[in-house]
Amino acid sequence: MANDKDLAVSAPKKIKLSASSKTFYVICYVCVGLMALICLIPFILLISGSFTSEQWIRFHGYGLIPGEFSVEAYNIIFKTPQRIVRAYGVSIMITVIGTICGLFLTTLTAYVIARKDFKYRNWFSFFFYFTTLFNGGMVSTYIYYIQYLHLKDSYLALILPSMFNVFYLLIMRTFVAAIPDALIESAKLDGAGEWRIFFTIILPLLKSGLATIGLFLALGYWNDWYNAMLYMNTETKYPLQYMLYSIQQQTQALASIASQAGISVQNLPSSSLKLAMAVVATGPIVILYPFVQKYFVAGITIGSVKG
Amino acid sequence: MQGFRNFADEFKRHKALFAMIAPAFILVLILQYLPMTGMVLAFKNYRYDQGVFGSAWNGIANFRYLFASGTGWLITRNTILYNLLNLITSQLLAVFIAIFITEINNMIFKKISQTVILLPYFISWVVVGVFVYSIFNYETGLINGLITKAGGDPVNFYGMPGAWPVIICLFNSWKWTGYNSVIYIAAIMGVDSAIHEAAAIDGANMFQRIRHITLPSIRPTLVTMILLQVGRILRGDFEMFYQIVGNNGQLYNATDVIDTYVFRSLLTNPDIGVTAAATFYQSVLCFAIIMIVNAIVKRIDADYALF
Amino acid sequence: MIKGKLRKILSGALAAAMCVGLLAGCSDPGASAPAASSGSGDAASESGAEGGAELADLDTSQEVELVMYVVSDRPAGQDVVDENLNKLLKEKLNCTLKINWIGWAEYQNKYPLLFSSGEAFDIAYCATWLNFSDLARKGAFKDLGQLLPKYAPKNYAMQSESALSQATIDGTLYAVPTLLATYTAYGAIYNGTIAKEIGDDFKINSWEDIETYGDFVKANHPEMEVVDEYSAGPEIGFTWFKTEGQHYFDNGSRFLWYDPSEDKPTVYANYQYPTIKDFLDMTHRWSEKGFWSKSALSDTDSQKTQTGKAALRLHNIDNYRDFVIQHPEFDFQWTTFTKDVAHLPYTQDCMVISNTSKNPERALAFWDLVTTDQEVYDALMYGVLGTTYTLDDEGNFAITDGDLYQTSAMWAARTTELNRNQQGTPDDYNTIREEWEKNIKAGEGTEKFAGFVFDPTPVQTELTACQNVYQQYWWPLELGYTDVESGLAEYQKNMEVAGIDKVLAEAQKQLDAYVESLG
Repeated sequence: MANDKDLAVSAPKKIKLSASSKTFYVICYVCVGLMALICLIPFILLISGSFTSEQWIRFHGYGLIPGEFSVEAYNIIFKTPQRIVRAYGVSIMITVIGTICGLFLTTLTAYVIARKDFKYRNWFSFFFYFTTLFNGGMVSTYIYYIQYLHLKDSYLALILPSMFNVFYLLIMRTFVAAIPDALIESAKLDGAGEWRIFFTIILPLLKSGLATIGLFLALGYWNDWYNAMLYMNTETKYPLQYMLYSIQQQTQALASIASQAGISVQNLPSSSLKLAMAVVATGPIVILYPFVQKYFVAGITIGSVKG
Repeated sequence: MQGFRNFADEFKRHKALFAMIAPAFILVLILQYLPMTGMVLAFKNYRYDQGVFGSAWNGIANFRYLFASGTGWLITRNTILYNLLNLITSQLLAVFIAIFITEINNMIFKKISQTVILLPYFISWVVVGVFVYSIFNYETGLINGLITKAGGDPVNFYGMPGAWPVIICLFNSWKWTGYNSVIYIAAIMGVDSAIHEAAAIDGANMFQRIRHITLPSIRPTLVTMILLQVGRILRGDFEMFYQIVGNNGQLYNATDVIDTYVFRSLLTNPDIGVTAAATFYQSVLCFAIIMIVNAIVKRIDADYALF
Repeated sequence: MIKGKLRKILSGALAAAMCVGLLAGCSDPGASAPAASSGSGDAASESGAEGGAELADLDTSQEVELVMYVVSDRPAGQDVVDENLNKLLKEKLNCTLKINWIGWAEYQNKYPLLFSSGEAFDIAYCATWLNFSDLARKGAFKDLGQLLPKYAPKNYAMQSESALSQATIDGTLYAVPTLLATYTAYGAIYNGTIAKEIGDDFKINSWEDIETYGDFVKANHPEMEVVDEYSAGPEIGFTWFKTEGQHYFDNGSRFLWYDPSEDKPTVYANYQYPTIKDFLDMTHRWSEKGFWSKSALSDTDSQKTQTGKAALRLHNIDNYRDFVIQHPEFDFQWTTFTKDVAHLPYTQDCMVISNTSKNPERALAFWDLVTTDQEVYDALMYGVLGTTYTLDDEGNFAITDGDLYQTSAMWAARTTELNRNQQGTPDDYNTIREEWEKNIKAGEGTEKFAGFVFDPTPVQTELTACQNVYQQYWWPLELGYTDVESGLAEYQKNMEVAGIDKVLAEAQKQLDAYVESLG
């Protein structure tokens, strides 16, 4: 497999480039490079800002290197490191479990609604799609989840609601639809059952789709703080994003409520804290992403699977 | 009866497919459909001691504030225009970037740029809001700093409502282009690379290959993405508008969307019924629009329709 | 401080003399004053000595756990505080208190959900900013009309008439207001170091002085903004109306004002005020001079004055005290810019009993104890002496470790008599407040209207629309961003479209009825 991929990738290089192709390559590199730069610079500003003292930001704004170096924002976040470590653990757990289950569910469902010989595929598509248009609203959903499903303070409240997303389902369907029907037909003629077709033929062909939706699911789980806000009560069960979010809100609220509370609060680094939070939350994903990327790098040659 | 018999036949024929779709079906039924009864709140005068179903009906009173003083039309128009603008720019850019990235041969450049363009997705709107102010403010903003250095007069961006649709659209594209391009990259990569090789050997140049192989390969995904966005055309990205525009009334005529208007109204009139009414209004309009658009798409090519 | 205490108990005794249902009809405050003041000394000494032991009606044979919800994040050192407090409560009331915390990240969503989820709990903190009156109208709380006088008699006796009147929604008492006096006064908090640079005896006493001060700041400290304005909305117009002796009709809608010195005041919208153009000309001029940022409405930095980025802030005296405690180096000064100071609504902070409470009697008895017993009060507010806080010789407190425990979250329990000053509080903080307290006369001027509560239900739609117009058109106008003439005309036009006339009519109707009820 690995050799096949390398071949597939290196093959186009051997072909001689025409002048117009050369121009196109230049455009490619320039555009992508420019885009990368536009995305990278704010991130550098973000990292530098998170290490800048609040007073400096207030008077001088942000710079590509910290004007006055300070780790105060990180001190606030890591005041109790075991809290953050624990929150990382929770986030990783729900991300891994949620992504695996969600991916399986999405692929299975997408396969069924992409099957042209399945009569009710439109009906089911609509059934799922309808939930993106209408929903019960926060209040009734909250009461229902807590009183009937008993999701309060349960990890399930963090995993279940985001497990199945119609948006991902319909994207996945386009990936499934790209697989030629003939493959399924011939497998059927060979006497394979539906489940066997799905696992041995469909799944291996969906690698790039699985990688895309898996990435999206994982990012969704990783970035989610809303469900934790609604349903989690115990601090040790907070995922990372919510932990960070609550630190930030607390800092902000204390600053604005100081006069009402009848106490004085030290100046809190609210701007740099926001930036430091983004760094702490994003770091691991940025480091992990290149490992996921290998699934995007080369196309899967159908031929090799067939062989 | 006829319908039931059809269903029974289909069920017998595709038992396995029904089994495959069952988990997602049950999950969505329990988590999404059952709480939907809460939609009745839009037509009720909610009281805490009487609950969702015990509260009295109050007709369309909850909807009145939306259209009081003629704002309903303005915010509906703004929401639709912003969504259209954002849909076109972010999807178009994503397609271009995806094509460019897949054509790039330098693996290191490819990998790094692919990671970097995903970075904005991680930067929350709160942080973007912090940057927007430091870029555009009159006295110490980055742009005005450059203008005055070049000898020009500073521009009062916050007094120019007309500039903000462009600014908001730019930030929206910046945030979502990388994320969306992941889907298109995966779709392009899903194409058998042998087809590209064969085309190249047959003498097709780069533009011909893109036009006849790459573009068709992403068309289903593109159509699905557009349809999914159209289905949300009346929902504004609250966080984005709120963090970028905030409380700045000067910009409201050009930047107010349904979600931000409702948010501000809730500060004066905190009523669960009012939120439910706004959501219901958005849902019904989205529903009508997506039904029409989907029907049109179905006429053109049934494979591309959502349901 | 003594004066304030007297008055407080005085009006409390007055209220105690009346039945809750008869609150609307009030007796002449002057007549009952002598009797009340003679009894007040006793009441205070009693409360200190006996605690909650005298509650004959209450059956405390069963131990109960009271559940209380407060808005704040749970302090890291709360365990010690809980343990200490529960030991005291077990002794005095045979109960324990379980405090549930709703964090700052979640209160906006979770607080209203608390009352709709049907969860059984007893006590909750509530406040005007948590929409007390709206929640009350929608049936979230227990009726305290009968329970409060019976199970929290001492607290009830200390409640002023206007406080109880504010806590009464549609004829039913729904909350126990805080017993800490706060004031309607707004003023200028400015940097004393800069003032000294202008002249040794330079003091800000008027709007003209602010302009002098501002011109000096612009010339000598160009990096500073003169007036601290940011995205939460300008305070300058609000302060200006107060300087004119006007009073806002309802804190939620700052575009409605009236003159409290009139016998039968007329409610008007801010653009109708006769000299409003003079004010707008002034702010327009100030804006042109660059007294505040042209992008102030998008600036989210709320701490510009404390940190030395701005030179003056228009706000209340509690902020002044905090600035002084935090930043003594700027030598902050205070000038009151309010002609007629009165008490703020006491429902600013209050305690409510949930509809779902199983032990409302014990909960009220607990509240009575907290608000009258210094020992329990200290245990709830400040924690454990020597561990979470220390006291100096004058009884002023200092928090030992702010990361471990802070006195946040228990605002509703604050009581003027038991409350301690934080170390570092400026001297004039107390003297100025005593001065105000001395000048406030019940039933006169602004104070006469302290008990008024506006019920916006009949004009909710119009009011919401007006509030939106106010924010959209008045804020930029107030900060001098738009041309005065045309800006004012546009604001007025949009207010009329939004239905200001209907709002004004309803406001007038309710205010007239209130004046009528005072007799």
